[in-house]
Amino acid sequence: MLLWLNRIRSMITALRSRKDFESGMSEELQFHMDQFTQDLIRSGVPAAEAARRARIEFGAVANVEEDCRQSRGLHLIDELGRQISYAGRLLRKSPGFTLTALATLAICLGANLTIFAVVDAVLLRPLPFPQSEQLITIFNTYPKANVLRDGSSLTNYYERRGGQVPGLSSVALYRYGNANVGEPGSTEHEPITRVTPDFFATLGTGPQIGNVFTEEHTTFQTDKVVLLTDGYWRQHFHADPNVVGKTLRVDGVANTVVGVLPRGFRFLSSESRLYFPLASNPEHRTPLQRHSGGNSIHMIGRLKEGFTISTVQSQVDAQNTNLETGSPTAKMMADAGFRSIVTSLHADHVESIRDVLLLMQAGAIALLVIGAVNLMNLLLIRANSRAKELSVRQALGARTRHVISEVVVETTLLTLLGGLLGMAVGWAGTRLVATLGADRLPLGSAILFDGRLAIAGLAAAVLLGIALAVPIVWWNLRRQVASAMQSETRGGTAGRAAQSLRHSFIVGQIALALVLLTGAGLLGFSLKEAMAVPPGFQPDHVITGHIAMPWKSYSKTQTQLAFSERLLQSIRQQPGVLSAGSGVNIPLSGHSGKSAVTVKGHRPAPGEPPRGIYSYGVDGDYFQALGHKLVAGRFLNSSDSRQSSVSRVCVVDQDFANYYWPKGNAIGQRLFRSPDERPDLEAFMVVGVVAPAKQAALTDMEAPGAVYFPFGHASDNEIFVIARTSLAPELFGLTLQKLVREIDPDLPVTGVRTMEERVADSLTARRTPALLAALFSGVALLLTALGTYGVLSYAVSQRRREIGVRMALGANPGAIRIQFVWLSLRLLAAGTAIGAAGAWIASRAMQAMLFRASEAGPLVLSGAVATIGFVAIAACLLPANRAARIPPVEVLNG
Amino acid sequence: MSKTADLLPGTLDMLILKAVSLEALHGYGVLLRIKQISGDALDIPQGSLYPALYRLESQGLIQSEWGQSDNNRKAKFYTLTVSGRKRLREETAGWNRLATAMSAALSATGPEEA
Repeated sequence: MLLWLNRIRSMITALRSRKDFESGMSEELQFHMDQFTQDLIRSGVPAAEAARRARIEFGAVANVEEDCRQSRGLHLIDELGRQISYAGRLLRKSPGFTLTALATLAICLGANLTIFAVVDAVLLRPLPFPQSEQLITIFNTYPKANVLRDGSSLTNYYERRGGQVPGLSSVALYRYGNANVGEPGSTEHEPITRVTPDFFATLGTGPQIGNVFTEEHTTFQTDKVVLLTDGYWRQHFHADPNVVGKTLRVDGVANTVVGVLPRGFRFLSSESRLYFPLASNPEHRTPLQRHSGGNSIHMIGRLKEGFTISTVQSQVDAQNTNLETGSPTAKMMADAGFRSIVTSLHADHVESIRDVLLLMQAGAIALLVIGAVNLMNLLLIRANSRAKELSVRQALGARTRHVISEVVVETTLLTLLGGLLGMAVGWAGTRLVATLGADRLPLGSAILFDGRLAIAGLAAAVLLGIALAVPIVWWNLRRQVASAMQSETRGGTAGRAAQSLRHSFIVGQIALALVLLTGAGLLGFSLKEAMAVPPGFQPDHVITGHIAMPWKSYSKTQTQLAFSERLLQSIRQQPGVLSAGSGVNIPLSGHSGKSAVTVKGHRPAPGEPPRGIYSYGVDGDYFQALGHKLVAGRFLNSSDSRQSSVSRVCVVDQDFANYYWPKGNAIGQRLFRSPDERPDLEAFMVVGVVAPAKQAALTDMEAPGAVYFPFGHASDNEIFVIARTSLAPELFGLTLQKLVREIDPDLPVTGVRTMEERVADSLTARRTPALLAALFSGVALLLTALGTYGVLSYAVSQRRREIGVRMALGANPGAIRIQFVWLSLRLLAAGTAIGAAGAWIASRAMQAMLFRASEAGPLVLSGAVATIGFVAIAACLLPANRAARIPPVEVLNG
Repeated sequence: MSKTADLLPGTLDMLILKAVSLEALHGYGVLLRIKQISGDALDIPQGSLYPALYRLESQGLIQSEWGQSDNNRKAKFYTLTVSGRKRLREETAGWNRLATAMSAALSATGPEEA
């Protein structure tokens, strides 16, 4: 070991002062010769004879010098240098090949690096917290009630913290929200996060100035305190070191700054720059509230050293069973399949896009393989044309080791150059991904092209270079054996072996391209199907906006109703507005949560799970504005919320009506806004049935139904406002903001978008992968065409003589052409068979991303086969025609 | 038959280490010294001397320094390093063990010869 260190050190010294090494060596050897000659002369040998004898005894100085260099390991470097310059000369000599290869490498490696940048940032890099692998999240799930995620409740938190779950060192809650921050007239709408005091300790972060929250801050009387992020502190407080104790006006109330978070602090993908305490009243923390998470409050926790997620999961399960025993809702929750899931915070945060990203990476790798196969074929053809040169050099004493290292140096030089270009493409790609809105992905704002990625790119390039060298080395060595047996290489075993290798490459290429094309086809088909889904409303000519009324001045239903009424009135007075409404939610808003509704007189069948229903309050001409179709009865309207005693009526959708009243007698039935039956006084009477609308996504397969209540009964301080216009709706956006400010200058409107934009945006998660897959398969098709063309034209040129002879003997040009078309058909058939199997596996892997594509599978596959077939045959027609036109005389003369 | 013996493989390194362990020597001096201490019995191929010196130096067993030769020419002098001295001791012991064993084995008298 020490010896090796010494050797490497001496090699490096020799390399650093290479000139000194060489001159010192010559001087030393010269000194030796001189001394020796003198000694010989002294012993009586004549001077001329002495010099001759010395040279003979010493041997060739150049050889000794080379041996000395070898003792220092310098010969390896020398050889590498020679081989690099040789490889460089070869690449310059055939610019066509080199440019094709570099372009292929740049595109394929660049695509991989771009996708890898996203995969790395989102999936691979640990969250930026100490021991982040210990961070977990816990959420409640009620799968049998169709509620897969319901966050965690305050009760969950108070029942789990302080070591009540032995495997957790701490737990904390957070809730995202919005606030209007600043002095009147210049308020800004800020995303905020409310957290329990142990939130930062759980993450392992402390404040850089001041303190985090304490238990005293968790009541509504004492929660007017705020923690600033470093960015907000610098921007709004000019990095004032004495900021603690200053105040910030939030939703019209002065909040005291208690501290500043460290620079770079960011919780997951949150945009929040202000953190507030998550306050609650004692009655929110009782066992009765255990299931009231509502997917707005979320829990994080930190595993104790030595505990795993699965042990903590069983601890939480055991605790849940204990707590639920004897609770009045125990049976209902058990029927709903209630469980609290413990899972890694990182994995959970990125779960929605993990499969998509991995699939995209797989697609990019397939593209790289196709590109690499093309290069291998080109390189094999080149190796064949250089066979003679190689034989001569081997006859002159080139060693096998040299032959191998030369090939490796050449391919690696090529892939390294391609890798550098690929890095440029990858860099541009990451910028493109960023401008395409990758920051909307979970952790997407962390996507960047840095040293880590550059190293990954270089490593990939080197590996690829070595991989490309393998078949060529194999061919070169095999050819040696063959040429030892027969002098004429053409038609020899090596030629045939190389040919079948090239052909199997083509088969593999066709197969991979088919898989990519089918995948892209399935994604595209799913997108088309999703776009064709009737949303259940008319999204054209509708503008929408979101308004968050501050709790302080809008906590009462009356004030919320009053605001809604004033706003809708002023909107209706605008020219070009056909109808206007507001509601606690709108379809495809991303806020669609389900809650419990009980139908009077409905006796659940044994084992029938409770159903989570979309339900929310609506005001004004909500249905007309969105374009809901009335099936029976009447719509809700403004007066339902504003009669002296607000009328207890509701509208249900067709899905809901069909489930509970399959006989079609929904009108006049009664239901309750609660998980259980209440006194009749609290019942709502169904006055109308509307056509069902897609609530969470166009591709929703579950349709549990929806119930709409008058806003007066189900109001909220956050509302959506909707207006149907006769003109282009986007023109109305600014007006909408102006009208809101006229009523309350403190209220900004966010998310002003047309309903058509919302529909389109809801498909982004499908559109982007489909576009990328289409791009990949387009490039794959092009590469496959190039590959097929290249190999077949080479086959034609190699068999020129044979074809010439056959033509001279009277062969029909058509027969020659058919022979080559037949060859490509055989390759195509083999590739299609393998590719179809691969496409089937791929379609299973991407099942979750597909929509109504199962019956279209065969259709898409045959379309893909037809496309590949067309491209492959087109690519072979040119060389086949050339073969058919080979003039026999010329060939025979030549 | 020549009165000089060919070197066994691996013994040149040992001889060089031995030669430079006595005093600092330049390459030619190493050659002369080996001839001298072996009583002119060993024939050193001159061409293989320098690669061996370079190898030993790169292994850190000997070190070199430029200095003045007897006839006032610039020459490179080699001396033994600490690890070189240790190596020489080990190699000498090993060689002695081998030589003793070899000569015992070769001088053994078998039943046929008796």
